[in-house]
Amino acid sequence: MIAGQPAWPGRRGAGTWRARWARRGAATWRARWRYSTARLVTVAALLGAGCVAWAAVPTGGAAGRAGPAVTALAAVFMAGSACQLALATVRRPDTSGYPGPLARLGARCLDVLRRVPWAEAGTLAVLALEALHPARPWHTALLGAALTGYLFAVHLAESTSGRGEEVAILRSQAPVLAAGLGLLVLAAGSALLPGAGTGPAGDGLRAAAAVAAALACALALPV
Amino acid sequence: MPDQPRAAAPAPAPAGAAAATAGPPDRAEPGAPATTLALSWKISGHARRLLTLAVAGLAVAVLTGRPEFAGLAAPALLLLAAGRGDRPAQLGVTTGLSTARLVEGERAAVTLAVRGTGSCTVHVALRPGHAIVPLPGPGGQRPGHATGQDATLPFTVRRWGRRRVGSAEIILRDRWRLAEGRAETGLPMLDCYPRPATERIRVVLSRLPQRLGEHTSRATGEGTEFGGVREYVPGDRQRSINWPATTRRGRLQVNTFQAERAQDVVILVDAAWDEGEPGDTVVDRALRGAAAAARAYLRAQDRVGFISYRYQARWLVPGLGERHYYRIAEAMLAQERDRSHDTGFTRLPRAALPPGALILVFSPLVDARLVETLRDLRQRGFAVLIVDVLAAEPWLGRGRTARLAHRLWRLEHQAIRFSLRELGVPVVQWDGQQSLDLPLAPYTRRTLVTHR
Repeated sequence: MIAGQPAWPGRRGAGTWRARWARRGAATWRARWRYSTARLVTVAALLGAGCVAWAAVPTGGAAGRAGPAVTALAAVFMAGSACQLALATVRRPDTSGYPGPLARLGARCLDVLRRVPWAEAGTLAVLALEALHPARPWHTALLGAALTGYLFAVHLAESTSGRGEEVAILRSQAPVLAAGLGLLVLAAGSALLPGAGTGPAGDGLRAAAAVAAALACALALPV
Repeated sequence: MPDQPRAAAPAPAPAGAAAATAGPPDRAEPGAPATTLALSWKISGHARRLLTLAVAGLAVAVLTGRPEFAGLAAPALLLLAAGRGDRPAQLGVTTGLSTARLVEGERAAVTLAVRGTGSCTVHVALRPGHAIVPLPGPGGQRPGHATGQDATLPFTVRRWGRRRVGSAEIILRDRWRLAEGRAETGLPMLDCYPRPATERIRVVLSRLPQRLGEHTSRATGEGTEFGGVREYVPGDRQRSINWPATTRRGRLQVNTFQAERAQDVVILVDAAWDEGEPGDTVVDRALRGAAAAARAYLRAQDRVGFISYRYQARWLVPGLGERHYYRIAEAMLAQERDRSHDTGFTRLPRAALPPGALILVFSPLVDARLVETLRDLRQRGFAVLIVDVLAAEPWLGRGRTARLAHRLWRLEHQAIRFSLRELGVPVVQWDGQQSLDLPLAPYTRRTLVTHR
């Protein structure tokens, strides 16, 4: 036996090779996951499901009879949004010649899935579900933060090319997002004060909200 | 399949290059001028969703008198208010292909240099044309998508032909991602040649023309293959004296060598009848086999001619070298768009058939006119070898009558093959997947005899 070499070089080599393969495989999968849009799609789907669940609780009589129906509707919209993101890269079946019924059905389903604004509809349904419950400011504030995160996740999943650009995008918008979340906290805090939303202060708040809504439309629509 | 796109990408045009004509160029030209494209700006999906959240939150706040809903709308409102930036009305785009010619399954890449984008981010999406398959790009890039002003979109071509790569949609997004400017540019065309099948062995005729080549002929000459020993005659080279034989016989003996000759090969592709799954049709098989044969014979310094037969015969006179292989490949693509109808085809043109040439035919043996032509060729003394590339039988319907028709069709096909064999024309079957060496092997061990 040569000094410094193992008695069973094959066994030792195999073990090393296995360990190296395992390390390399794990690293490859980690890198793939890190740069894949599937990660963002998963995040968006989880945030959407979380928003629906958060807005639905408590599921008792607080939300009235419409509660379960709106919850189901919101869940459908969120699931549709997740499917839309997941199937964004799937090629539409070629229907130029004489396609089979399965190909036609697949193409039709993809068209419908891509045309419907699932995320917008899901957002509206979640807000409606939250409005069905009695006032709970901190709960609503957390829902607002989660919904904003969900909308960002949807946007990043549909628009990035899978190279880890999302950090740069979020960093450039971080100050405005932080200011918005600060306002959200302030609004939730003011709602906790006794008598908020009633009397002249409440009327003023309503007027300000209406003006802000009009301003939002004016700012965004002529883009 | 190679890992990297074939050949180097052309250098992108300098920033702010002069505006030129719109529309797709027909071929990739390195250093081509930038095309000016007008951008149409629209509200982005992200902005629409933020607007939905903001307006709905504020509406609920107004209707229910709950200020927390106004707060819920605040982040979206602030983002919408902040989103004002420069939005260019047009941009300059230079497109190019890493290669204008490739073989089925090879990798190529579209390069786009986008200029005049200001502070906007650039996203490029490939809208692939027919048989173009986008591939994942470097660094985990999604297939058919790229980011940045200099984008590279790798792709492969699934099936041979003259293909338009498709179009590229250029999406500009402002810093806040609230508006999207879109423009679309056409991409150049490329030629995708049929992928040659594997063929290492060559069928060689018994009688070869008097031209230097690599095939050992029966005649003695100046080759390297040992032929025999004969008695020395004045004029023989001293270095060819076989000293052991001389010692044994007591008289001077010299070695003789076999001559090395080249042959003429004419490849005939019958594309008149096509059937089978796309990508593995009769014509696909015939062209892949023909490409393999052309490459194998050209490597052996043989002269190779090409005849394609669809509605009429088109031919290339036999030639030599790598350049001739590409001429043949171009001729293969040209027959794809040949739609002329000439039903008067009965004999192959004499100019395309050098005397004593080996004629390799890739055909499904369905067209009666071609079968007659092959019989005629054999009767004229040509050595003909047919590779049957029938991929699928014709669809004749269901039912008893269809079954009967199917049987008749099969019998007729067998009769054609039998009659050709009776004339001394070998017919071999090839499935398009395996190497061509296997069906051709019996004809490499014994040479094909020509009758002249």
